[in-house]
Amino acid sequence: MSNVAGNAYGLSILSPIKNGRVPGKEIAYADLVRDQLQAWNSEFNSPMALVPQTYLCRFYVLDDVVTESLPGGSFPDTWSDVLPVVPDSLRRDVMPKQDRLQSRYLVFCCNFYAGPAGTPDAYLRGMWEAINGRIHDIWDNCYGFENIHHASDFITYMKKCQVTTSLYFNGSTDQPLEEQLKALYMKQEFTKFAIENQGLSATAIRANYRAFMLRTQLNDLQMPSWQPGQYRL
Amino acid sequence: MICKCQAGNRGNTGFDSLICQRHYSEPLFRKSFMSKQLDLLDIQGHVLRAYGRFSYPKARYVFLNIRHSGRARRFVDAITQRVTTAVCWGKGPNDMPPPEWAVNIAFTYQGLKELELPRASLIGFSPEFVEGMKHRKDILGDDGPSAPEHWDPIWRDNRETRDKDVHIFIALNALAPVKSESALTDIQQAMAQCDVFLEQAYAWLLDEVKKSEAGVVILGGNRGDDGALLDYQEVKVVMENGMPTAKEHFGYTDGIGDPVFEGVPYDEARVRGRGKQMADGSWAPLATGEFLLGHIDEAQEYPPAPRPILLARNGTYMVYRKLHENVASFDKYLRQEGQKYPGGEELLAAKFVGRWRDNGAPLVSAPDAESKKKFDEKFAQASLAEQDRMLSDFTYDNDMSGAKCPFSAHLRRINPRASLEMGRDPGDIPGSYKTITGAFDTPGALSNRRRILRRGLPYGEVKDRSRDDGNHGIIIMMLNADINRQFEFVQQQWVNYGNDFKAGNDKEIILGNHSHDPRFASKAVLQVDPASEEVPYILSNIPRFVETRGGEYFFIPSMTALRMIARGVIDPT
Amino acid sequence: MSNIAGKAYAMNVITPVRWYTAWLNKLFFWVALKRPSTLNGLKTLSLIHYARWVIIGRKQFPHLSPDQPKEHLNYSYMLFFSNFNGSWDQYVDSFTFAIPGGLDLFWKWNVRYSKSVALTPFHNYIQYNQLETIHYYNAYPLATSNDVKSAKIVKESLSDFNKTVEEGSDEEFLKRYHGLLRGLQHDLGAMHPTPIISMSAYQVEKRERWHAGQLDQEQGHV
Repeated sequence: MSNVAGNAYGLSILSPIKNGRVPGKEIAYADLVRDQLQAWNSEFNSPMALVPQTYLCRFYVLDDVVTESLPGGSFPDTWSDVLPVVPDSLRRDVMPKQDRLQSRYLVFCCNFYAGPAGTPDAYLRGMWEAINGRIHDIWDNCYGFENIHHASDFITYMKKCQVTTSLYFNGSTDQPLEEQLKALYMKQEFTKFAIENQGLSATAIRANYRAFMLRTQLNDLQMPSWQPGQYRL
Repeated sequence: MICKCQAGNRGNTGFDSLICQRHYSEPLFRKSFMSKQLDLLDIQGHVLRAYGRFSYPKARYVFLNIRHSGRARRFVDAITQRVTTAVCWGKGPNDMPPPEWAVNIAFTYQGLKELELPRASLIGFSPEFVEGMKHRKDILGDDGPSAPEHWDPIWRDNRETRDKDVHIFIALNALAPVKSESALTDIQQAMAQCDVFLEQAYAWLLDEVKKSEAGVVILGGNRGDDGALLDYQEVKVVMENGMPTAKEHFGYTDGIGDPVFEGVPYDEARVRGRGKQMADGSWAPLATGEFLLGHIDEAQEYPPAPRPILLARNGTYMVYRKLHENVASFDKYLRQEGQKYPGGEELLAAKFVGRWRDNGAPLVSAPDAESKKKFDEKFAQASLAEQDRMLSDFTYDNDMSGAKCPFSAHLRRINPRASLEMGRDPGDIPGSYKTITGAFDTPGALSNRRRILRRGLPYGEVKDRSRDDGNHGIIIMMLNADINRQFEFVQQQWVNYGNDFKAGNDKEIILGNHSHDPRFASKAVLQVDPASEEVPYILSNIPRFVETRGGEYFFIPSMTALRMIARGVIDPT
Repeated sequence: MSNIAGKAYAMNVITPVRWYTAWLNKLFFWVALKRPSTLNGLKTLSLIHYARWVIIGRKQFPHLSPDQPKEHLNYSYMLFFSNFNGSWDQYVDSFTFAIPGGLDLFWKWNVRYSKSVALTPFHNYIQYNQLETIHYYNAYPLATSNDVKSAKIVKESLSDFNKTVEEGSDEEFLKRYHGLLRGLQHDLGAMHPTPIISMSAYQVEKRERWHAGQLDQEQGHV
């Protein structure tokens, strides 16, 4: 349940990327993944804009875990502060160990509206139906993705890659994306209305407001509204 | 405002700095801190004192280029002999009398390089200082009419070719000596004497430049009256009916707010409203390291500084900016909106800034005409110290919704005090915010590390208020230990942007870089009491009132560092 | 690569946690978030869209194929993902200034955690363990978290107001309209292209392309 904050869902995916070289090319699978994702940045907008209910999401490639060496409050250091003598070899023995990952991982972290159901299934189905070509471009490079041809396979696969969120903090709202976008549109339009109608007579404002309601169609979540990923006014 | 020994002679100038020598040295002004006192003889005077507040109503700022490193160092040595420190001015055993003219000096990164500071020291300066203000125009919002191509030639040509770089900044501040009995004629005499001192100071500087045998040259290109290009930037207080005032060209009383930090003996009485607001309602001085390198700051560590320690300690960074004021646009906009604004033009002018124009009364204490009248009556009867408290000792605790001081007013954006600890819950009155007590470690957590020392004075004179293009504005110098965290942050996030104030892209009314592009027209909401029947007033299509005409980032060394720089002995090995 | 999408910044941090204290970490998350000063602190800061902490046990890295080598790790790992507004500096500083106690509770069990006060060691700790985002998508790049929250209130208020538009005289309408404005006086901030946080020329260029230039060529999306 900690993947969920109200109706918002925090999906954390780690997909292991195949080790070795992409056949016919001099590039590792992981580097190809990174390259593909980088190419998405130069497109007009992200392919994820087509995936319904996506609030914010990100991709990166986890090459390896990070080994700590910065000083911090570690136990033997504290003993060393307090006791007159602590063998230095003991202190150095507890330098953090170096871990190495055996594979590199595609990390996909996504925030979306999952509704009261609180599961990612509908979202993943929507993602497959919208951009399964793109999904193949990226995920074909990962272990275990050989026989994914349908939304249901994709959902099963992703659940195997899912890691549970320990704490999900929602600092925004948990409404369906269309609600958020429409609300932002209304905020923008109403601000303009307030400026344009400042100081006018009651009759004029009322007439203008009726026109405003008609134009902005508050209850129509589709149009007019902001588009997902919209970069300009 | 004249020295209190002239109790019968109170004018309405708001210029509280004409305090005679006799009363300045009284205990009221000289109570020293129980905690550490700074090494005043090591710190340059203008760092701890706004000279304008201490009877120095006029100054010249001179900018020099270094042509020969060795001779330039000798020049710096000569200047250093005469630099004014932060020593107490008075009659005590360690005090000195205020000088007839004060000298202070600062350097750009290029200047320090030309003085041949070792590379290992140079790389310890902050990246923004190294880069310089001009190249950071995108961060600072210096676009459109504020863009470098419109700057005074001296700043436009800075950082383009080596021989026109601004390397050294020298400030010459001249005293207006007021005798103990100060009638109008005495003031005028003092101002005339001030002019004499200023010329003496400048003559001395020219002489030193000459002695450097072209080791340094003075850079011209400071725009003055009628497009004249001068070898210096002159600043002086705005005069009204022959009397010096504390106003700037839009008519606002300026220079009231200034942070108070630990270790400055002549500031302790002024901590309320200027220090940091504590949870129990008291005020404490800010940590010294927010404003001086080599001292612990509010994050309980030493601020990043170049090595060796003696180069940085007791020094600080200075942001110099020439801000032109579009008086005609300001007057026009104020009149146009003032006609529609319930409450009238003067109240509206107060809403722009957060203080009433005439005497600087804070809106939080005097939110309307009636309370302003009461404030004025009390103010007229109050002692100097009490007046100072009335002007600066306030919080936003009782104005969390902005009904008194709008969220986009100058004062609130520049120093939000504890007002950013704001929140609202579903059951609250719509349009209201309240303090979420205890949400932050201390109430001023988000403001305490964004404070800036302000120095400088207005420049020029408004000869024709119906035009924008005269020679009039302010020179502001902002001192802080970390240009990026303090000045640049406030400029980018709080002046030219408003998200922290729940105002999206709405800018600070007076200083914001309002756009002429109709797609991005500027507005500001003047909030009202959520529990009333009033309507918030929206200012729209706000024109750009203030335009940048030049500036740069400087480093102000301590006296120790100055002497070592001058002798070329800085060594971080 | 880009950590920025409009007004949002994507921060990714990965830090080792001793495997035998990972469960404690999860418990502390729960405690920290219940603590009024942490919860209020985070909400009052108001900078975050969504943020999460994920703890992956050292044996729990997804394993999907016999061809995939198994992981042999000494530590479990905590992944932190945040979507926030403002610059990196502002974000990290805000946390240190405003809720140092809460931060310490979250990262307490991480190996070599520096504590959040003093500032520079904490900055170093986060930077040391931060990974760059390659692709970042934001459904509303022009809006901050404050804007999204404000927008909800605006829409709800307008919805209520719309139902009353035809009631009563023009004067009565005006009174209600004034009440509407008053109630929304903090929710009318403009939403323009972000202030520029990064000096990277590429960022600037990209924004300029989108915002100034290609208005004609835009139809829908992709």
